[in-house]
Amino acid sequence: MKNAKLCILTSLAVAVTAGMAALPTSSAAAKTLVYCSEANPEGFNPSLFTAGTTFDASSRQIYNRLVEFDRGTTNIVPALADSWEVSNNGTTYTFNLRSGIKWQSNDRFTPSRDFNADDIIFSFDRQRVDSHPFFNVSGGTYEYFQGMDMPSLIESVEKIDDLTVRFNLTRPEAPFIANLAMDFASIMSSEYADQMLAAGTPEIIDQEPIGTGPFRLVDFQPDAVIRYAAHEDYFRGKAPIDDLIFSITPDSSVRFAKLQAGECDVMPFPNPADLDAMRADPNINLLEAEGLNTGYLAFNTERAPFTDVRVRQALSMAINKQAIIDAVFQGSGVIAKNPIPPTIWSYNDAVEDYAFDPDAARALLAEAGFADGFSTNVWAMPVQRPYNPNAARMAELIQADWADVGVTAEIVSFEWGEYLRRSKDGEHDTVLLGWTGDNGDPDNFLAVLLGCSAAQDGTNRARWCHQPFEDLIQAAKRTADVAERTSLYEQAQVISKEEAPWVTIAHSRVFEPISSRVSDFRIDPFGGHVFYGVDIQE
Amino acid sequence: MTVTDQEQAEQTAQATTEIEQPSPLRQFWSSFRENHGAVVGLFTIIIMIGIAFSADLIAPHDPNQQYRDFLLIPPMWQDGGNSQFIFGTDPIGRDMLSRLIHGSRFSLMIGAISVTLALFFGVTLGLAAGFFRGWVDNLIMRTVDIVMAFPALLLALAVVAILGPSLMNATIAIAIVALPQYIRITRAAVMGEAARDYVTASKTAGANTLRLMFITILPNAMAPIIVQATLGFSSAILDAAALGFLGLGAQPPTPEWGTMLATAREFIRRAWWVMTFPGMAILITVLAFNLMGDGLRDALDPRLKE
Repeated sequence: MKNAKLCILTSLAVAVTAGMAALPTSSAAAKTLVYCSEANPEGFNPSLFTAGTTFDASSRQIYNRLVEFDRGTTNIVPALADSWEVSNNGTTYTFNLRSGIKWQSNDRFTPSRDFNADDIIFSFDRQRVDSHPFFNVSGGTYEYFQGMDMPSLIESVEKIDDLTVRFNLTRPEAPFIANLAMDFASIMSSEYADQMLAAGTPEIIDQEPIGTGPFRLVDFQPDAVIRYAAHEDYFRGKAPIDDLIFSITPDSSVRFAKLQAGECDVMPFPNPADLDAMRADPNINLLEAEGLNTGYLAFNTERAPFTDVRVRQALSMAINKQAIIDAVFQGSGVIAKNPIPPTIWSYNDAVEDYAFDPDAARALLAEAGFADGFSTNVWAMPVQRPYNPNAARMAELIQADWADVGVTAEIVSFEWGEYLRRSKDGEHDTVLLGWTGDNGDPDNFLAVLLGCSAAQDGTNRARWCHQPFEDLIQAAKRTADVAERTSLYEQAQVISKEEAPWVTIAHSRVFEPISSRVSDFRIDPFGGHVFYGVDIQE
Repeated sequence: MTVTDQEQAEQTAQATTEIEQPSPLRQFWSSFRENHGAVVGLFTIIIMIGIAFSADLIAPHDPNQQYRDFLLIPPMWQDGGNSQFIFGTDPIGRDMLSRLIHGSRFSLMIGAISVTLALFFGVTLGLAAGFFRGWVDNLIMRTVDIVMAFPALLLALAVVAILGPSLMNATIAIAIVALPQYIRITRAAVMGEAARDYVTASKTAGANTLRLMFITILPNAMAPIIVQATLGFSSAILDAAALGFLGLGAQPPTPEWGTMLATAREFIRRAWWVMTFPGMAILITVLAFNLMGDGLRDALDPRLKE
């Protein structure tokens, strides 16, 4: 019995070795790129989830959207839509669709028609109309769609003809086009959906995706590997690589070791501590770019003493941001002075940051009636994020800086889900958090994180509702004129600095170590990984 | 005449054996001393206690002082080292040696408090279970079975999650997790002793229940409990380090060894000293307690004696 098992094991091992030995010969014919991804995707329907890992595995390889971000930039370019017109009052958007776009196929489904307006209607109505047959399929939570306020914004989506679609909005919304380039707005096949619904297995469309994108899903083994093959009929032309493999590797030290050993070609989220070793390795190219993110400390402005603007200003002055950049980001970040990163348009470079000045901070605290300081807490996130690679360490530095001006801070941490929930409920005094942009629009930072409605629902961790600021960002939402919006947002940034609801701490740089064999990989400002257009040398 | 002679001879013989019979402490020490590992362990622990008590005097720096110009300085004997920081500095410029020295306080304190707590409740409950038997025994031992059904660290995590993360709560959690072992060992020892003749004699002589439990039986059942307490000390330190590593034990900036280890993880390839020294400190302390515990068992357990 035991021997039989051993026999099977040995033959398995032999088979595996043989398979591995066969791999290089087969890859001589087909170009394969291996990406060491950091975690399992939550699923393959990007509108159901919010994690970047899921978008990397689904929307960014398999699907397309009406409009998309040009690879490596935040610029909007036409994708499934060739062109679009906006009505004068800003409430109707008419899209002219590209013709001849082919859908992918798999074992269950072979498309009988090209992409058309029905697919657009299906993809939006599924998330929008609660009587839609697919609304409740696969859990039916469309967090991004709801978070972007789409259900109340979109009044209807109409099909004008096969290649023309019109969106009727309830109000003018300047960031609407940028929102349509986000992952949740990926377009799925309505024909595939109809077939699966008829077969009684509607959830299959979320598990075995069919898209128009550059790669089709071949196989997914949780905790191990995702395999993709190039979509031959992709409308922008077949991808330069033939096979794309995601090798799921949660530990960043292990990812680095695999990259060094040539077992993967691209890896995300390197340890800041490993960057020097990566720069020194001749077989690794370390790409870097400004991240579209902001790490901040939010004061709970509903709680004393942070109701007093002088206290917030004093504690902003007390923090030595350069020390944080050195110790926490290890040089992979820059000091933030505005809530939005400098890569976003309308960034106000004229804003003057609070200089590190403990003496002035003590004087200001004394003026506010806290000459002897006070006790408070600093919440530190338990996870690593691009905008904050080590929140506990950042909190320790802030703790020491504040102790210097007489403020005693206790560091508090919870499990990540609990942390987000409790800080949303406003249980903190001060909290460390951050934000990575979704669509490159300033509204995505300023309204979502500092607006009055966000102060009520909690995404505004400072719980700061300041009317002059609110008026500016609401006005900027209603107009499509970029110059006017820019000036409104610039004023808003001045106010947010004066009122100091946040200590803006850092914008991190994003690093992507890639094998020197890989060419034309571009860092995605949104933190994603797009492999169409990337090539690899044999 | 012959009878008296015989008696006298017997008396002398008795007297000589009394002289040759060393005191229990001396006897214990002579058998403990034979185990060299145990002696090394004992001295290491004594030194450790000395360091913990004099931490304020011998530590070269304040353990929480951040020298922001000296981030991640290697130990002084390496290139780039600085004689100001003998074991180097951590990622935010705190002196490693001072943190390690102060860390010994926390580790020993966690060990001492959690073992004392577990010992007190464990021995009381175990004694009650072993002495009264019947439903008392059933109640206590079935509860113990339930507690033991959970993996130790998982249970400690759950307890800390309920109480909130702090050093004191971690200590309490560790004590709760260790409790079943003390109860079981005490109960077994007490059951063995309760059937002995001297206990029956004491009972016949009119000793009350409390006297029987605490004065007659307990001292004779102490040996395995002492061994368990010593070994429990090391597992308490280890568990506290594990909880600290998971962020549920000591909170920053407390220089607890497990926490120090956890916050330095990312530097394993670049700055070996931030991880190695706290790890070594844990290793040495735990090893010392284990060695001493083994020695104690050899010296105290009559069944292991030749």
